[in-house]
Amino acid sequence: MESLLSRFPADNFSLLGVILAFPLLGAIVNGIWGKRLGKEAVRFMALAAVGVSFIASVVSFLSLKHLADHGGGEHAAHVKLRWSLWSWMHTSQGDSTTIPIDVTFSVDALSGVMMLVITGVGFLIHLYATSYMEKDSAYWRFFAYLNLFIFSMLVLVLGDNLPVLFVGWEGVGLCSYLLIGFWYGDNANATAGKKAFIANRIGDFGLICGMFLLAHYCGALDWDGLSANASKLVNKSAYAGNKDLWDIGVWPLAHSRYEGALSFLQPGMSKLFEILKLAPVTGHPITLTILPATAIGLALLLGCTGKSAQIPLYVWLPDAMAGPTPVSALIHAATMVTAGVYLCCRLWFVFALSPFVMVLIAFIGVTTALLAASIALVQNDIKKVLAYSTISQLGFMFVGVGVGAFVAGFFHVITHAFFKACLFLGAGSVIHAMHAHIHDGDASQDMRNMGGLKKYMPVTYWTFAAATVAIIGLPGTSGFFSKDEILFRAFTNQTNHPFEAAAKALGAWQAPTWTGKMIYGLGVLAALMTAFYMVRLFLMTFHGNFRGWTVDADAASPQESPWQMTLPLILLGGLALVAGFLNPGFHIFEHPPLEHWLDPVFDIKHVFANAKPHVIEAANAASLEKVTALGGIGAFVIGSGLAYWVYAVKGGGPARTLTTMFPRLHRLLLNKWYVDEAYNATAIEAVDALADTSANVIDPWIVDGILAKLSSFLVSAFGTLLRAFQNGVMHMYAALMVVGLAVCGWFFVMPHAQATVDVKPTGVAITASPGPGYTYRWDINGDGKPDQETFSNQPVVNVPLEPGASRNVTLEVTNSFGYTPFIAKKVVAVSRPASTDVKPTEIKMGQK
Amino acid sequence: MDILLALSPVVAVSVGALLLMLAEAFSKQRAGLALGAAVIQATGAVFAGALWLYGIESLNGLDVLEPWLIIDRFSLFFHMVICLGGALAALLAGGYLREHRIERGEFYALILFATIGAMMIASAGDALTLFIGLETMSIGAYALTAFRRGSQRSAEAAVKYFLLGSFAAALLLYGFALVYGATGHTDLQGIAAALRGPAGSHPLSLIGMLLILVGLAFKVSAVPFHAWTPDAYEGAPTPATSYMAVVVKAGAFAMMMRVLLVGFGDPRSMSAFAGWPPVIAGLAVVTMTVANLIAGRQESVKRMLAYSSIAHAGYLLVGLVATIRSGDALSSVLFYLLTYTVSTIGAFGGLILCGSYGRESVSFEDLAGLGKRHPAVALPLAFFAMSLAGIPPTAGFFGKWYLLKSAMEGGFHWLAIIMLVNSVLGAYYYLRVLVFLYMREPAPGAPVAVPMKSGYVATALILAGALVIWLGLCPDGALDLAAKATLAGR
Repeated sequence: MESLLSRFPADNFSLLGVILAFPLLGAIVNGIWGKRLGKEAVRFMALAAVGVSFIASVVSFLSLKHLADHGGGEHAAHVKLRWSLWSWMHTSQGDSTTIPIDVTFSVDALSGVMMLVITGVGFLIHLYATSYMEKDSAYWRFFAYLNLFIFSMLVLVLGDNLPVLFVGWEGVGLCSYLLIGFWYGDNANATAGKKAFIANRIGDFGLICGMFLLAHYCGALDWDGLSANASKLVNKSAYAGNKDLWDIGVWPLAHSRYEGALSFLQPGMSKLFEILKLAPVTGHPITLTILPATAIGLALLLGCTGKSAQIPLYVWLPDAMAGPTPVSALIHAATMVTAGVYLCCRLWFVFALSPFVMVLIAFIGVTTALLAASIALVQNDIKKVLAYSTISQLGFMFVGVGVGAFVAGFFHVITHAFFKACLFLGAGSVIHAMHAHIHDGDASQDMRNMGGLKKYMPVTYWTFAAATVAIIGLPGTSGFFSKDEILFRAFTNQTNHPFEAAAKALGAWQAPTWTGKMIYGLGVLAALMTAFYMVRLFLMTFHGNFRGWTVDADAASPQESPWQMTLPLILLGGLALVAGFLNPGFHIFEHPPLEHWLDPVFDIKHVFANAKPHVIEAANAASLEKVTALGGIGAFVIGSGLAYWVYAVKGGGPARTLTTMFPRLHRLLLNKWYVDEAYNATAIEAVDALADTSANVIDPWIVDGILAKLSSFLVSAFGTLLRAFQNGVMHMYAALMVVGLAVCGWFFVMPHAQATVDVKPTGVAITASPGPGYTYRWDINGDGKPDQETFSNQPVVNVPLEPGASRNVTLEVTNSFGYTPFIAKKVVAVSRPASTDVKPTEIKMGQK
Repeated sequence: MDILLALSPVVAVSVGALLLMLAEAFSKQRAGLALGAAVIQATGAVFAGALWLYGIESLNGLDVLEPWLIIDRFSLFFHMVICLGGALAALLAGGYLREHRIERGEFYALILFATIGAMMIASAGDALTLFIGLETMSIGAYALTAFRRGSQRSAEAAVKYFLLGSFAAALLLYGFALVYGATGHTDLQGIAAALRGPAGSHPLSLIGMLLILVGLAFKVSAVPFHAWTPDAYEGAPTPATSYMAVVVKAGAFAMMMRVLLVGFGDPRSMSAFAGWPPVIAGLAVVTMTVANLIAGRQESVKRMLAYSSIAHAGYLLVGLVATIRSGDALSSVLFYLLTYTVSTIGAFGGLILCGSYGRESVSFEDLAGLGKRHPAVALPLAFFAMSLAGIPPTAGFFGKWYLLKSAMEGGFHWLAIIMLVNSVLGAYYYLRVLVFLYMREPAPGAPVAVPMKSGYVATALILAGALVIWLGLCPDGALDLAAKATLAGR
């Protein structure tokens, strides 16, 4: 290990290059030559790429662990292996600080775990896919995309700054789009791909805004720089010299002191306020501001909800199941959709500065968990159920992050990756078997056509069972520990502003104490539904009698899948059962390994000096742990028991009864709360209406009419003009030049009067802009006549003014040609503010 | 010795040019001449790069050269860009001239001597050397335009270019004469020093500056002094066109920057509201807008690229205006020139590749469907067109981005907005190339383009493509280089 670290020092850890390069290489080779290489070679290339990447990840992880254990010293607690490639570009904060943006990759405790999950689970899913996609003619294209996805995801996780992360973020979005629409021949698949792409674009807009704001306020975009400068977000005095840098105006209500060429874009809002009598206006503009930490948190959160399929942008994920099942397992369950949670954990110190955003994250999470679970209760498509289950579980992760329990949230990312990948692959195995039998995409995924598969597919059955007990939270399994930890923290944690005094001074929002209890209650309800719909799915698929004969009575019975598909199932199922012991609660271990490992990342002392913890744990938390666990266990027992009673004991009778008793409720759930319809009716209709307007009004009249006709008229006018010159008649060209010379000459011989005004303690100073041979004549006293008859070399004059007074000063400029017509004149209206200490009235929003 | 070292880029190209002429006279083997010309210019670039790394500041005795030739990092940067552009153009010529059966040795000699002229004006610190360098470069360019002797268009273009060029040169010379009359100096730093004194108020210096400005605007082909450009670019053989679009333009911009920023860099001539900056800003607006509007209507790709090069000159003028207020603007302009050089060479090279003897493809129609028939041939043209349009991750994106950033930082918001609108206009005709390559089928019965095969052209395209990608992916390295290219005496 020592020799390894001497070969790859921590500040130039080029082993990361191996992790990144192999999947990229696989994508390139398979993408360009895959068609000619044949299936065997494509399979080998794809598996080798991810396999090597996984081995290198393990080695990197062990190096990191070695360094963390033996590094010694206080600062070694949060170790990082870094690999800098090249300096990419740079931007600046204001006029002073340069913000370098380098192509640098790094791995620390957080990204290390993520990297292992991506390459490890990724390898298993690749292996699975080699068999699942066997019959597909575009085998090579599939693996090129899948390798490209692994590469992009690794860039996202290993990037050492936000722009590099963003490259990966867009890369996974692109791969997701390509793979959802992999069978693009079917229009529905292509539409689903587009939907995912557009929903993600909305989120990306938020992420980009967050990035700009972070650069603006913190003057850094890399992780170390951000954590070093994050305290500036609450430190108003750091911007004492430049107040404009501090306030975020909420356009268009904010005031603006911007007086450049674009100032006409900003309406005079103070006038509006005056009319509306909203606030006393004394000649000063009104500001409507939002605290920087909240603005950044909201912007980043929008990005995270897009990628991690949370309210309001979750609608793309169920449709994304149109892609091949390994894609659903890898991208839309295990890895890509957790990117939002990863970003929240990565920039946790930014979110921690805004309790408002923290609580909002928790509420979005728990609402999403409930909504998605309720929809999953009644779906019949096996992949749809799992898709809504994924959204619901992602909601749990958001709850963990939102209540400040970042380790718990991240723990659920890991366990979920195992059990949900296993569930999706198991479902894939079932669909694979059904498809061989039914040959209809939708029918082969419908659980009503399944049943009794236990005896045909024993391996799939048992691994699926393992993953199911994990997700519904059978005590001892991975899902139990991770979900329980989140619920427990939600109950006992109270979010707190790390800089209480500063926050009070800024009027920051404090979360009421009941939020945690409420989130806990809703979370337990969501867990209960989870248990119900998962047991329902399990029973409908594997128990009872096989109902597929009704579709095609002559077909052969379903077959177990080959080893390439069952081996990943066995491994993932095993992990789903035991991975909980990475971080079990209840003091089973004195130092739970994962918590011990991640603690330095989420230690507030490493980010802010003199800060209070971002959460306050309830005093009796230790004793509460077992009590809150009862809720989770209760949800498991009641939910699964109910489902067993309904679907195994009563054969689904009560469900049918309920459906007939509450037909509207059933329809509401079956139709996913009509959210898609609501979006259609509002946002999409509005866009369509806009599109209609453009197509029927703007396009024919303005674009085709004024713009196209006018510009084509202009262009052809130019063309005609130029043809006149370009007729081979040389002197026309020369004439054109002479015209140009004359116009330039006119500007040169005419003087131009321009002046800038500076407010001085006793009045204002006016500086005339210089020019060749310019002499100046001033009328300072405002009597309309020049103060002196002759022009002099005096470009600066001081105008004494009382506070509140104003006056017109006239400047006349002539140059060395000295003709009287060559005198430029400019009237400068100068005024001095009544009092220098008047501040604009402010209205605070968001954090109050 | 130090002087020889400092002049080594120019000397290398000069000696190489003489040797090439000798070789051409005594050898029947023509195929190696293109490679020779490319290697000679690459040597010049390597010498300049070596001097850059060695540190030009540590050489002694360079004041003997001053004010005639000033070898500073600005000169070296331009030596590198000019030699790079010249070498790539020579490689293009190696493929093109052979394919179109007009391979004669003097083409390469002309390129080399024009390159020497361009290198001279990049480092000229005096009106006299400047003019000699300018004429050396221009005469080479006139002859290159007329190279296709059998073609009437070629001859007509050359005559137009020559007469108008003489007119502009006369204006420039007259301007310097007037400035000399007012200030008593022909060296730029002397002019600048004198203009800070009473000579700056002399009407003659003002008129002189105006005439010089117009002369310079002609050489960078700013509207309305651009009329020669489309004709000359279209009439010349394509490698000569690419050479003019790249090397001659880079030389002209080097001259313009040195004359305006050093010679007329005093606060009164370089004011935001008087002197040359407002005129340059006005020329920039007119140049960008007119060139882009007309380029969109062209049916010939070659002519479209000619207008595109005028439009890019307009963007560069925006950066030049920004230099008066923003410290970083000069490096943005230099960086843009570098990205423009590689992208333009690539675009012309891609166009050359699409045609063959007797079927030279120049119009959009010729390109229809080429992407499907010959994907490998269509790819370079599409790729470099995207770079010219400024689509990431190509070089053109960062070139435009840094120019816009400089304009914004300098407070020229309206210039930045006009430039932005213009790059949208530009995207229209660049993407039109892609539309024809990939989304159109040739009209039935219409002649279809038959691509040529040439190792020379392929090499040039691969080199240019690698540079475009490199500049697009890690622009900071090259920008850092440009930021160090300081202008002596500014």
